[in-house]
Amino acid sequence: MSSSESSEPGKSKTIKVDYLARVEGEGSLYLKIRDGAVEDAKLKIFEPPRFFEAFLRGRDFREAPDITARICGICPVAYLMSACHAMESVCGVRVDGQLRALRRLLYCGEWIESHGLHVFMLHAPDFYGFDDAVAMAKAHPELVQRGLRLKKLGNAIMTALGGREVHPINIKLGGFYRAPRRRELDALRGELEWAREFTAVALARLKELEFPDFERDYEFMGLRHPSEYPLNEGRLVSSAGVDEPISRYDCVLREVHVAHSTSLQSRRVGGGPVHMGPMARYALNHDKLPPEVQQLARDAGLGARCQNPFQSVLVRMVEIAYAVHEAARIIAEYAEPDAPAIAVEPRAGTGYGATEAPRGVCYQRYTIDDAGVITDCKIVAPTSVNQAVIEEDLRVFAGARAELPDEQLRWQCEQAIRNYDPCISCSCHFLKLDVERV
Amino acid sequence: MHEMSVLNNLMNKVTELNALHGGKRVISMKLRLGALSHFTPQHFREHFDFASRGTVAEGARLELTQMTDETDPDAQGVVLESLEFET
Repeated sequence: MSSSESSEPGKSKTIKVDYLARVEGEGSLYLKIRDGAVEDAKLKIFEPPRFFEAFLRGRDFREAPDITARICGICPVAYLMSACHAMESVCGVRVDGQLRALRRLLYCGEWIESHGLHVFMLHAPDFYGFDDAVAMAKAHPELVQRGLRLKKLGNAIMTALGGREVHPINIKLGGFYRAPRRRELDALRGELEWAREFTAVALARLKELEFPDFERDYEFMGLRHPSEYPLNEGRLVSSAGVDEPISRYDCVLREVHVAHSTSLQSRRVGGGPVHMGPMARYALNHDKLPPEVQQLARDAGLGARCQNPFQSVLVRMVEIAYAVHEAARIIAEYAEPDAPAIAVEPRAGTGYGATEAPRGVCYQRYTIDDAGVITDCKIVAPTSVNQAVIEEDLRVFAGARAELPDEQLRWQCEQAIRNYDPCISCSCHFLKLDVERV
Repeated sequence: MHEMSVLNNLMNKVTELNALHGGKRVISMKLRLGALSHFTPQHFREHFDFASRGTVAEGARLELTQMTDETDPDAQGVVLESLEFET
């Protein structure tokens, strides 16, 4: 912002500003504290609704991946992949072989860039005591630079497969518009090797951070696949014994509207809030991680299950290590497919898709007619599912800190929310804290 | 979908500048609406009327320029060019 002034004394003053207005996080936290104990905690989300489900109706089924990708600039792959799987399930198509492997590779790119952004740019500054990554860069330039290099690798994988870093344009039902050439993927191997070494170094540093003493007995929910750590496919399982096909998602989780949020919350039918995302995936699928990655987790002090949400920074880093490992494996085994996609013809029916977005399960359900026109649609973002468990965390966490001055309480509560890497603008420093002390 | 968020940010900045320069209230504001900002002048005025209620900018005169260059670095944004305060 630049400024200059002109004035008419006693009347008015004009200043030149040149300020670019920015989008602010639309969230706030309400805490009601009675006699030093938290009586109520509400995470208020008042982003206006975006009506994606409404305007997908009437569109061609082939458009769903590109349209839903626009829901998020950080995890577009989650949305377009869930849409692809849902549509392919309606039409009786299964994508296998190298095309399936390429989809996993694309997802690895998204995990690396999304997790990398959160670990190094948003979460790490909390633990090092800085307002943001820019401030942290002065004291720890090498950590921020290498974090950005890691994110750049994720972006490079996205570009190689998706045509560009954000909102890929090369993905379609049945596969890709164009399959990458072998040499294009080989070009990523050097950076993947660097990233493999760096993830071990980063974990060794992150494990030295001081984490608040805070654990909860969550019901973890996520996908589980018989032979791999879940990205694109799996059954919906939970630590409380849920084990269902994705087509039963709506029978397992019920969306509820609460007055203080424009984003629907979710509860397990017959249960309560569930926790999705890296900690859930890790707890439910630890045995599916390669031994090398399991060893990294052990070295970082993690058991087979982590219940301290502040340590999600470690779990995210372990998942980055896995994504790097998996990407290197897929590239090493890659053989250019005969065709970049298989044909998907419309067939009337309802299909379900769920994939593991960086923040948890991204679920979509579509009904299409014989001509492939979408007649019904449901999309559930993982952050909306996690809202209720975030509120529960805040109730417990703030309860033990109710005597802190409001500003300090706000800062610590922001960190507790950031543990979930919420895909609202609020994952940056944002919180309007409204404390009612009675 | 981000109109109110942009307006809230703008109101915060205007309130801050008004206090910084010892203004009593904002008389007028000059803004550029980027070609890709999703705002037309009429659309912006409707949101401004709502967002400015009860602030120092309530009732301020708006001078809005709709930009057409999609390659402008600020094409996606709203730029506050200048503010006139009553002192």
